[in-house]
Amino acid sequence: MLMHHRPKPENPARVLVLGGSGFLGRAVQAALDEAGIPTVAPPRSELDLTADGASERAAAMLEATDAVLMLAALTPDRGRGLASFMQNLKMAAGVCAAMQTVRPAHVVYVSSDAVYPVDVARITEATCAQPTDLYGMMHLAREVMLQTEVHVPVAVLRPTLVYGADDPHNSYGPNRLRRMARKDRRMSLFGQGEEVRDHILIDDVAALIRLTLCHRSSGTLNLATGRSISYAELAHKVAILFEGPIEIVGTPRQSPVRHRHFDVVALHRAFPAFTFTPLDVGLAKAYREMLEQA
Amino acid sequence: MNRSAIGFAGLTHLGIVSAAAAAARGFPVVAFDIDPTRVAALAAGELPIVEPGLPQLLRLHRERLSFTAERADLRACAVVYVATDVPVDETGVSDLQPVRDLVERVASSLAAEAALVILSQVPPGFTRGLGRPPAHTFYQVETLIFGRAVERALEPERFIVGCGDPAAALPGALTEYLEAFGCPILRMRYESAELAKISINLCLVASITAANILAELCEHIGADWSEIVPALRLDRRIGPHAYLTPGLGLGGGNLERDLETVCRVADAHGTDAGVVRAWIANSAHRRDWALTQIHERVVARVAEPTLAVLGLAYKENTASTKNSPALALLTALAPFVVHAYDPVVTPAPESHPRLVAARSALEACVGADAVVLMTPWPEFRDLRPDAVAARLRGRAVVDPHGILEGPAFRAAGLDYVTLGYPLPRAAA
Repeated sequence: MLMHHRPKPENPARVLVLGGSGFLGRAVQAALDEAGIPTVAPPRSELDLTADGASERAAAMLEATDAVLMLAALTPDRGRGLASFMQNLKMAAGVCAAMQTVRPAHVVYVSSDAVYPVDVARITEATCAQPTDLYGMMHLAREVMLQTEVHVPVAVLRPTLVYGADDPHNSYGPNRLRRMARKDRRMSLFGQGEEVRDHILIDDVAALIRLTLCHRSSGTLNLATGRSISYAELAHKVAILFEGPIEIVGTPRQSPVRHRHFDVVALHRAFPAFTFTPLDVGLAKAYREMLEQA
Repeated sequence: MNRSAIGFAGLTHLGIVSAAAAAARGFPVVAFDIDPTRVAALAAGELPIVEPGLPQLLRLHRERLSFTAERADLRACAVVYVATDVPVDETGVSDLQPVRDLVERVASSLAAEAALVILSQVPPGFTRGLGRPPAHTFYQVETLIFGRAVERALEPERFIVGCGDPAAALPGALTEYLEAFGCPILRMRYESAELAKISINLCLVASITAANILAELCEHIGADWSEIVPALRLDRRIGPHAYLTPGLGLGGGNLERDLETVCRVADAHGTDAGVVRAWIANSAHRRDWALTQIHERVVARVAEPTLAVLGLAYKENTASTKNSPALALLTALAPFVVHAYDPVVTPAPESHPRLVAARSALEACVGADAVVLMTPWPEFRDLRPDAVAARLRGRAVVDPHGILEGPAFRAAGLDYVTLGYPLPRAAA
């Protein structure tokens, strides 16, 4: 659950975005710009959080009235092993040290639903965070580091599967299915695509981060729509965006079927007027943007 | 026939109803409370609680009831019940100090041979922990149900009496009083009786939770829980009176208190209470069913929606709003205009920033995008689909308890949803 330290939303003085050049970072900055919220997002050439002395450089950029939005992380596509794990912790340790030098007004940490066990089918914020890999454990450790080492309101946001045309990752979901359909006019599913998952549009994640910043919220919130669908149904929704037939094929199942649903009542309570982009609309938008980028 | 006087100390819901039932059974009753204002109001026939049948019962047997703020008046009683309600905080933890204070206050005024009976809701170990003489100290399980308290007090299924020595006979006056109700009297040690009370509530919660889980499954797989329930009631292992009606989680505070007590005692002794915690979690989940429906059917589709909320009490026939799902719902609808109506509870402006109090259920529906029936008050059954449809701006009717005629509302073109029935897809 989130607690709003500003029940009536108000733009923060400035947001220091760490990890602003990534898929999510760019989308959030666009949303903040549109809302008239000043941002500063040092590129890696100015602030490399994995480098020695990063905490001093970050502290020099930080002002006490800032909100800090922490997005920077080595994502699984850049390694799931121990080296990435330790680098990610080093980044977070540096950010904590910087914020101990200059204490900001607010911190928002974008974590991941990877902190939850893979065999729990219904997730709420009360679900025990019990990661099953180093990536999930890294996010959980960083959550705890920020919540215990930085004595300001800290919001932890745990997005589920985020999709959007700009996503450089190719993990199993709308982005990969769309790219497969475009490239080969064929989509292959794990098994028959029985698993259900919740997919959230990047624009909605950015909007929810903006709301969290404007309410100066603290606590933990899952970012999910509350509507899960099977990969088979998702593939069908992606296929009908294309002209002409797209083949959808199953593959021999390698692992047991595991579903994931989110109970999003806490999100409804935190942001009662927020509405999600319907999946059909979001998929169509991502498809259009993909064509525009071509 | 001269009957011994029975005393009741602590005139909250439990004490008032119990005193009225004792008078109805022909016993002279001394009803004591430390608050003279409350006593004066009761003596004048003004009730601080809503309970069907209670005003009539009190009027009918008024001549045997003596309301007093003088504890010395209890000296005339052969049996004195300590019957004050126990306050519970928002986490379900009881504040037992008021009971201890009342016991101490009352004990000093009792006749030498009088029996002191704890009727308040106390946890295991409380009665023995008082350190009072066991031959004159007892704990009796209460099974008050808000809205059905009079019926339950007049026609109890059984009495469960905790004793210092369960092999010893109960005092004559207490036996005479209990036998007047014509039901079985079960004697047992203090701790067993205290746990029996909690056991009853845990079995009820287990049944309610099973019904809630299965009703939710029905909503998703095309089954109808109301078709399944009769089959369960005919099963001897489940029974015709089993709690099988799905609802919006647990409310009222008493069941929640007992669940918390079990968890606390289990933790202290290393007993696995995981399933009890799962019941608590499921209750919280189901409490928000109406909110989820409102988001799916209205908020996601209508800009600036107006909502009609019918019923604020935690259940029908009571003015209690403790742990009321309706009030929990209101806190999650802050940005929207809400028209609220309850037959007994006056909508409080502090419960919602954009609350409009309506004078009737139909008035609340005027111009609303959805109507949500949060308390199954009998008068809501009279709502006709054409009258509701004519006043609503939208089509959504959220009736968790199924008190309206669902088929008629659906036939009237309304988007009617209820617990345990297949949920239609929200209109795009």
